[in-house]
Amino acid sequence: MELKPLFDVKERLEYAAVAGAALLGEDFRLQRAAEELKPLAGASPVLAKIGAGLAKLLSAPPEERPGLLLDVLALVDAVAYTQAGTGAEGELEPLPLGGGVYHQISYGQIQPLLTALTTTGGGRVEAVKSAWDSHPEFFEDYRVLPAVVAALGDGYGEMADLCAALLKKLGPRVVPALKQGFDPGGKKEMARRVETIAAIQGKDAFPWLREILGHTKKEVRVAAITALGGDSGNTALLLGLAKYERGKNLEAVMAGLALQDGEEVASFWEQRLQKDHLSVKFLGVARTDWASDLVAKGLWGLMERLLAGEREISKEIHALLRLWWSAAQGKSSPSMLDLWRWTDAKWADLDQVRGEKGQRLGFGAELTALLLDSLCAAGPGPLCSLCLELWEKHPKEARYLPHAVAASLLIRPAAEVYDTFSPYVPTVKPLLGGEQKRAFHNGVLAGLAQTRWNAAGGRYEVGAGWSAAQPLDPRWAKRLTHAVWRTTMHDFKMPSPVGRGEHLDEYDLILTRIFDLTSPEVRQELAPYLRQRMKLLGNYQTYSRWLFAMGSSPQGALKDSILKSGRPAYLYYIWGLLNDAAKALTLDETAQLCQQVLDAGGVRKEDAAMAQKVLPWTVEQLRAGRPFPEWDDWWNMRQ
Amino acid sequence: MEWTEQAILLQAPNPAAAENGRKLSRKGSFSARCKTADGALYWAQCAGSGKDPYRVSIDLAKDGRPVCRCSCPSRQFPCKHALGLMFELLEAKPFQVAEIPGDIADKRAKQAARAAKKEGAEGEDKPAKPKKPNAAARKKKLTKQLEGLDMAQRMVDELLRSGLGTLAGSSAQTFEKLAKDLGSCYLTGPQTAFARIALAVRAVQRDPAQAEAAYAEALRLLVALRSTIRKGRAFLEGKLEAGDFSAEDSALFEALGGVWKLEDLRAIGSFKENARLVQLSFDVSYDGAKREQVERGWWLDVDGGGLYQTLNLRPLKALKYVKGDDSRFGLLEVPALYVYPGEGDRRVRWESAASRPLTAAEREELPKLAQPGLAQAVKLVKGKIKNTLAPKFLAVLLPIGRLGKVGADFVLEDPAGERICLRDRPGDGADHACVDRLGTLPRKIPAGSALFGLMFYDGRDRTLCVHPCSVVTPDDVIRLQY
Repeated sequence: MELKPLFDVKERLEYAAVAGAALLGEDFRLQRAAEELKPLAGASPVLAKIGAGLAKLLSAPPEERPGLLLDVLALVDAVAYTQAGTGAEGELEPLPLGGGVYHQISYGQIQPLLTALTTTGGGRVEAVKSAWDSHPEFFEDYRVLPAVVAALGDGYGEMADLCAALLKKLGPRVVPALKQGFDPGGKKEMARRVETIAAIQGKDAFPWLREILGHTKKEVRVAAITALGGDSGNTALLLGLAKYERGKNLEAVMAGLALQDGEEVASFWEQRLQKDHLSVKFLGVARTDWASDLVAKGLWGLMERLLAGEREISKEIHALLRLWWSAAQGKSSPSMLDLWRWTDAKWADLDQVRGEKGQRLGFGAELTALLLDSLCAAGPGPLCSLCLELWEKHPKEARYLPHAVAASLLIRPAAEVYDTFSPYVPTVKPLLGGEQKRAFHNGVLAGLAQTRWNAAGGRYEVGAGWSAAQPLDPRWAKRLTHAVWRTTMHDFKMPSPVGRGEHLDEYDLILTRIFDLTSPEVRQELAPYLRQRMKLLGNYQTYSRWLFAMGSSPQGALKDSILKSGRPAYLYYIWGLLNDAAKALTLDETAQLCQQVLDAGGVRKEDAAMAQKVLPWTVEQLRAGRPFPEWDDWWNMRQ
Repeated sequence: MEWTEQAILLQAPNPAAAENGRKLSRKGSFSARCKTADGALYWAQCAGSGKDPYRVSIDLAKDGRPVCRCSCPSRQFPCKHALGLMFELLEAKPFQVAEIPGDIADKRAKQAARAAKKEGAEGEDKPAKPKKPNAAARKKKLTKQLEGLDMAQRMVDELLRSGLGTLAGSSAQTFEKLAKDLGSCYLTGPQTAFARIALAVRAVQRDPAQAEAAYAEALRLLVALRSTIRKGRAFLEGKLEAGDFSAEDSALFEALGGVWKLEDLRAIGSFKENARLVQLSFDVSYDGAKREQVERGWWLDVDGGGLYQTLNLRPLKALKYVKGDDSRFGLLEVPALYVYPGEGDRRVRWESAASRPLTAAEREELPKLAQPGLAQAVKLVKGKIKNTLAPKFLAVLLPIGRLGKVGADFVLEDPAGERICLRDRPGDGADHACVDRLGTLPRKIPAGSALFGLMFYDGRDRTLCVHPCSVVTPDDVIRLQY
């Protein structure tokens, strides 16, 4: 049945209700709709009833109209419902399968996570992390996964980064969800999707990346080019893109081409560097011989021009030289080694180079530091031999001593390194030549500072994560803790990340970084040393944490250190200190520290009364075998 | 009792309390964990902010209903310490067998005595007998309600005479004030309807693009209100005339604002014994007119195939103190299922129930409880929603022939080849969106499955559509929402 007149009536009645029934008598459109409905009245009794209702409505006095209007509307609605159609014509395409799985997760479990992922406000990152810790499987649920993917576009960068990291952990099964609804012309969210897919799939993502590349724009294009850039199979594509891409896209192409190898690539870079000197910054990551040769050649030319001229350089030239030298980091082709030898030969001249206002630039020292950085970036190899060669050439100067120590740590047995270089760290004050000997001492420290204990990897590393040839000789612990001087090459002080108002002593910082603090031999030397230093400097927050890291207690030194510091602390920081102690020490040892804090009275006066209450209570709790209290527990006792 | 995380969440007053309990368990706050030899009582000490640790226990003497006790001063029940102890049980931490502590033994004895007294008086799990109505008070109330209906009628007439579009500014405030007066006449149903109309009109003022849908909704409410007023007046006058003041099996009672008590439902015989239910879907929404959170569960009666809903209403003002509901999996065995009067998706409640996992055979039977075909379901829905007092949707369980897409529309085709579009109900909000999830379902839908959803009339193209909520396969109920 043709119901258009009925729906016209419905529409007019709704308009009348919005505009007011008082105006109904003047609504000629409603009257016309009622007229058009009349022919249908014979088709069904209900339509006849609607027709009669309309006639009554239009002729009714104003006070009856509202009720009659609703009555007719009710009838019209009822007909509309009963005449409602269903169905959809056309080919029924089967539904695709999504990438997630289905878990029986209740509202109470899933809702806080979905809220954290899809809303704004504080505490969301923590909620997501907590959910991941308790139920990582929730994140692969097909209701949660799209929200995690959508959170890649979260305005809060930390949340977006967290979600990207979690998706990478979930692995290949999330890739379909990442590709679903992908918009190559999109913004940051889509760029993060590309990065995530590329990180998960590696080379397997290349066909898809090549497919979308033609449609991508802005950030997504940069991400796609970057993802493609890391593989040698894409060299031809990148060389093609280099011809017409601009801006950040071109930078992504260059960054990719810097990682490629082959004649075509080398030729591209040769031309590129001639055209644009600043492009050399992309070659910093390149480790190929041709890249090393290109940088060495360019640098050599620049340096020769420098020495041939007035030896006074502008800021711009200085910046350009730094850019080129920084690109030389980690490169070790024969021509690069020759460049370093030439630099050594011309060291005195180079050190005389001045700035445009005649000031000394310390260019020689800068280049020496750059060689150490380059060695740390390159790891074991020809640069190690070069550094040892230069040290042997200048044994009376401390200039190449850090390089020699670092190179030795990379390639020589630990005992040999100790035997060779430990004499430069005197434990008895020399009667003569103190200044020079101190420079050697500092040089050894600078070399040793390039190593660190990687607790997660369980190994000693040098420079940019290179494995040391052998674990650091533990005799260094005794040697360094008994050294005459506690200075380093820089001897800077920087604020401690844990101790409020405390400054890190670089010498002690190096000591705590280079050793495996859990080693008994190291602990035996370092623990008493740190306790002594703690008492001397009053930096109890920082030194206590170092002691905790080696499972030792600052017992016996804490009270003196607090008194020495002279800085009354907020009770919250004291709680933080003791809470960390409880994680590393026994309950009894923690209770002893609580007592020392109480005895020292190093709490600011506003918190003193509360400290008098909570600390003895905590001692009782710990002695009764109960866990260290939460801050809330202390705070609730403030009254 | 089998400890699962979901079982703990069901005990918790809110998810945050459960999370706090989990944190207590994680950080090792519990000590002196003990249990009785029969495993019916667990207790421990939990370090808190007080000088002495709290003594917390979980008593499982009455199966299915853990009784939690704690010496902490928290007003939440169960407190985070009791929930934490549940997490200790979930983690299967060691509990030493010990003698039941004296204070708990005393409390148990008192509780048993109280239960015995109650059982002796009324029989277990049966609600109290309905109180005898005070005839004079009831008569006064009915008279007041009739007066209220007259006022509501005047309000409807006045609103339509001046037009819905005029409901703004001071006229809206006056309207809301008058609507509040209906509450004083024991007509909370019409009062809420007026509040909803005001909300709908305000939505137009905020966003004129929504005008068509919002005015249509306001008019639908007005049509229902007029029907309520007319039928309500006849209903109340009839009762007044007959001097009958007892509860009656009529949806009008609730439409006027009446609140059903279990004893009244039992008195009118609106209950079913030994019902077995399976939850098909769960959702939470906010009712702006009543300012309350609505937690709704959709249930399938395994024995009769009927569909029911549970509503847990939590006023925003008392959200912290009213226990929240949660999704439930498995089969719920209900000794007495109380069914609210009305048509369509009837609301149910119960006093006690026991849950157990569904067997494979029971799961297999679930999709077989679907309507025979789409045509029958459509007929049923049309018959229900044309009633002016009924909601404009009905829960349905439809047999799936094929699920797929026609263009951009998701479509269900039943085994007979009849089709219906699947859409999210307009106005339900993004957090109720389910249709797109059909496109990311993680499994192929096996033959013999059914789709549970809400069939509704979509005025935009004048068709009946289904808002999908879950896919019921012979192996599982895949929920599209919660």
